[in-house]
Amino acid sequence: MSIFTEEQNGTRHLLMGNEAIVRGAIEAGLDVAAGYPGTPSSEIIETLAKYAEKNNHYVEWSVNEKVALEVAAAGSFSGLRSLAVMKQPGLNVASDFLLHLSASGTRGPMVLLCADDPGALSSINEGETRFYARLMEIPLIEPGNFQEAKDMMKWAFELSEEIRNIVLVRTVTRLSHASGNVTLGERKESVGKAFFKNDGFILDPMEGSVMSAPVAYKHGEQQVKLKRCAEIFEKSPFNVYEGPVNPELLIITSSICDLYSKEAVSLLNAEKRVGILKLGTTFPLPPKLIEQYLAKADKILIVEEVLPFLEESIKVLAAELAPTIGAKQFFGKANGDIPMVNELNPDIVVTALSSILGIEYKEVDEEYKKRASEICFFGSPARETTFCPGCPHRASFFSINKNISMDNRSGFTCGDIGCYSMGMLPGGFSTLKTLHAMGSGTGLASGFGKMTKFGMEQPVVSVCGDSTFFHSAMPPLVNAIHNNSNLTMIVLDNSGTAMTGFQPHPGLEVDATGSEAPKIDIPSVCKGMGVNVEVCDPFDLAKTQETLFKFLESDGVNVLVLKQICALSPEKKGKKMFNMSIDDSVCLGGECGCNKMCTRVLSCPGLIWDRETEKSTINDVICIGCGVCASVCPSGAIKKEEA
Amino acid sequence: MKISGSNELLEQIQNNNLCVGCGACVGICPYFKAHKGKVAMTFSCDRTEGRCYAHCPGTETDYDVLANELFNKPYEEKPIGNYIKIYGAKAGEKAVNGSFQNGGTVTTLMKFAMEKGLIDSAVLTDSIDMIPDPQIVTKSDEIGNFSSTKYMASPTVSKFNEAIKMGHKKIGVVGTPCQMKAIGKIKSNPLDREEFKKPETFLIGLFCTWAVDTKNFIKLLESKTDISKIKSMDIPPPPAEVFILKTETEAIEIPLDDIRKIVPEGCSLCPDMTCEWADISVGAFEGRSGWNTLIVRTKKGEELINSAISEGYLTVEEFPDENVTHLTKGSVGKKKRGLAKREELMKSMDQNDNGSATAPSVVGFR
Ligand SMILES: Cc1cc2nc3c(=O)[nH]c(=O)nc-3n(C[C@H](O)[C@H](O)[C@H](O)COP(=O)(O)OP(=O)(O)OC[C@H]3O[C@@H](n4cnc5c(N)ncnc54)[C@H](O)[C@@H]3O)c2cc1C
Ligand SMILES: Cc1ncc(C[n+]2csc(CCOP(=O)(O)OP(=O)(O)O)c2C)c(N)n1
Ligand code: SF4
Repeated sequence: MSIFTEEQNGTRHLLMGNEAIVRGAIEAGLDVAAGYPGTPSSEIIETLAKYAEKNNHYVEWSVNEKVALEVAAAGSFSGLRSLAVMKQPGLNVASDFLLHLSASGTRGPMVLLCADDPGALSSINEGETRFYARLMEIPLIEPGNFQEAKDMMKWAFELSEEIRNIVLVRTVTRLSHASGNVTLGERKESVGKAFFKNDGFILDPMEGSVMSAPVAYKHGEQQVKLKRCAEIFEKSPFNVYEGPVNPELLIITSSICDLYSKEAVSLLNAEKRVGILKLGTTFPLPPKLIEQYLAKADKILIVEEVLPFLEESIKVLAAELAPTIGAKQFFGKANGDIPMVNELNPDIVVTALSSILGIEYKEVDEEYKKRASEICFFGSPARETTFCPGCPHRASFFSINKNISMDNRSGFTCGDIGCYSMGMLPGGFSTLKTLHAMGSGTGLASGFGKMTKFGMEQPVVSVCGDSTFFHSAMPPLVNAIHNNSNLTMIVLDNSGTAMTGFQPHPGLEVDATGSEAPKIDIPSVCKGMGVNVEVCDPFDLAKTQETLFKFLESDGVNVLVLKQICALSPEKKGKKMFNMSIDDSVCLGGECGCNKMCTRVLSCPGLIWDRETEKSTINDVICIGCGVCASVCPSGAIKKEEA
Repeated sequence: MKISGSNELLEQIQNNNLCVGCGACVGICPYFKAHKGKVAMTFSCDRTEGRCYAHCPGTETDYDVLANELFNKPYEEKPIGNYIKIYGAKAGEKAVNGSFQNGGTVTTLMKFAMEKGLIDSAVLTDSIDMIPDPQIVTKSDEIGNFSSTKYMASPTVSKFNEAIKMGHKKIGVVGTPCQMKAIGKIKSNPLDREEFKKPETFLIGLFCTWAVDTKNFIKLLESKTDISKIKSMDIPPPPAEVFILKTETEAIEIPLDDIRKIVPEGCSLCPDMTCEWADISVGAFEGRSGWNTLIVRTKKGEELINSAISEGYLTVEEFPDENVTHLTKGSVGKKKRGLAKREELMKSMDQNDNGSATAPSVVGFR
């Protein structure tokens, strides 16, 4: 029995935020869902895909977020209920289509769910979804707890149906990946029948052509929809006030920060002095509701993560309302009480509150604090962020780094997004020298490869994963070829989207739901582009390095596909290629001539430096038997035996 | 004398552009590698003492140690080093003909040494597409394949390291002054490693004023001709001031000044023209084409040459006094230039840094 396939109305369950979101979409009568993996959003499509057949949903992992939004929009244009799912950077990718979609309007209810990652717990940015709502002029709603995650998701479809435009739902890591109690609701029937009407009057939003032109007319319509949203939001049950009738200080907050604010107020026993207005509908703001609460207090603290989105909108409203509600004193990002980077937590809110309200607060006993920090410092060993044992990326970066150093022309490698982004760190031999958005490594390399005109003689390498290749590395590769750039592109093909949890991609024979699917062969694609391609096994260090040397020294664009399945992939897990052992009598240890090449440099977690014997040993439990360490051992002490 | 590790080696030598790519640090550990005539460190090593530093001809060197090793006496400052005799020489009538650079003395003597059992292996230098390619040779009839001068700085010493690793006990080496100095340092076992088994060596040093950087040399040659067509190269004696490339059809002259621009910075610090740290040293015989200048420095060298002469493998002549004077002048000139340059470098290093990096100094060379 699964809550994702059964009715179970009224039952209570402990659900992860992302599961609550899925249930909300199912209750709304979803038909179509498309997305591209990205933490913390990935479980949504994964869960929907798992039950897609039972629920008669169409669910796909799209090649990238823009296409995901387009696929979902096709569902909406066909009259179905559709959902697109992505992490925030994906919204940047999809934004061009979104600009046009928001102006053309939708037909069947359509929701865009974006997951933000304040504090960049699993990202390399603190990108903001909220400002897109303002930029794209579409409604934004933000659940503040697990029940709301389900309820607001369901409501988002109703709202979209009412205004005939896409509705943006924003979640954050701490909501998506934490769990709480959720009471289930009624499941609506799916629409189930698709038809795209297109022969009506050209401006008919439900039967004509779907487009953003004529621009002034459509743009105007879009703004009318937004006004309608503001009216609806005035009465939304997701905007909640808790606190005294006339608080000394009003906190205005949204999303998961509501929980931080509540906890902070309670820790300070300030319930009688502070009121909290939690907004679920954060764009457009309902002006009357805001006026009603602003009027209650003279001091306003705005609690939100990263940029001052709410703070700025509320200040604009307060300025307009000043004649009726009087001047207010604002606290938040502008005065520095709430930081503009990193995620928040109750402590930060407590600190802000105690300074505003003049309440002394000691989070913990000084002595305790001191001892805790001592224990943390001395008690926990320093550990490097590194690749898993037997990770093909370690072997690949070992070869890339070695070749570039030996080549001795100050060559460098442009990085990209995936597990292999760790090639930036010492665990990846600090090989990567640039790291930006998906596909940007090869785009940058394409540019660097043209700097020869200005005397640059450094060899240029880019890396990208197999999923990233399809997502956004093909256009820069085409660009490099067409513009006669000079670079070596290395596709680190580990047969899956590893970083986000092995989601399939177009290079694999399986789709999101596990059904068989045509696979697109990366080397053939590159060959089709007319570029020289070779495929090597990164565990074969000698062959990889030989090929890479050849490419580093040749002109033009060359592609090296380093193909070896991820050590953690379900297909490979637990299967050893080799049984490894180290001959103590041959191991040079820390002596001149080796100096712990395996444990210090290669630093696979499967290798242990034995402090007593001053020799390396294999940790049989962790070693997956890739055999790579045997190839880097200068004295032949590491032996591999076919498993 | 302070022996440091790879980090100091990088700081003092590589980062100051003083590496001449002799290959002394290559082949002893997984970190230093030679590629296309250049030596580079691949991954970092945190040892505070390493053979890489100790063997490098550019780091601090105790000349007394080298002299004791080779000549059984402390270092004596002499313009052309320690020697027993100087000859004019060339391959004798019994020697196999070949495309020698000058008189073929080097090739002939190496061959002779192996045939006589003085060496079981020889470290020689070939080139592939103008990239120096040092190799270990164990068959005497292959030695002839290595004749003629490759003017590129070559990581020849890496193959000496490899030959020791492979267990060769009697190793012959032909090399330039920096390479021979490195071999002297290697043989002195500077880290006092118990497992080091010092091989017997027979060292033929080559006179050298400078070598050229391989990659820049290739670039320069490519701008003049198709490099696959080049058959030989030569520097005719002064006052010609040219470098000559010979193809099947033509002789291309490159002004020596253009060549000097691509000499590694490290060569300008070298105080040794006649290759002092060898059993014998061989160069061109100025003014006598097809002949060599041959300096016999050690007993071992003398014995081999005497038997080569008596068995008809080597033809020798008295070396004229005026040539000795000339050679001495040239040698002193290089010493002066090298030492002045070193001084200058040490000064500039002291100035632009907070004292952490020290310029390599010379002990025993006053
Ligand atoms: C870089 C360089 C610069 C030189 N500069 C001068 C100079 O200024 N004045 C002068 O009189 N002589 C110089 N010589 C020596 C000269 O060119 C001849 O090598 C020498 O006279 C021996 O002649 P040969 O006919 O007996 O040699 P061959 O019988 O032709 O044998 C040549 C030998 O040199 C070795 N060899 C060739 N290239 C290299 C290299 N790059 N590194 C190490 N070993 C090598 C080969 O292994 C071979 O055994 C220089 C040599 C080199 C390598
Ligand atoms: C635009 C965008 N979408 C999604 C992500 C999330 N994301 C980070 S790594 C990654 C997968 C990369 O997979 P692949 O290129 O195959 O490399 P692997 O992790 O397998 O090494 C994804 C989807 C992102 N960072 N940016
Ligand atoms: S074989 Fe070596 S490199 Fe591979 S997983 Fe085992 S310990 Fe790590």
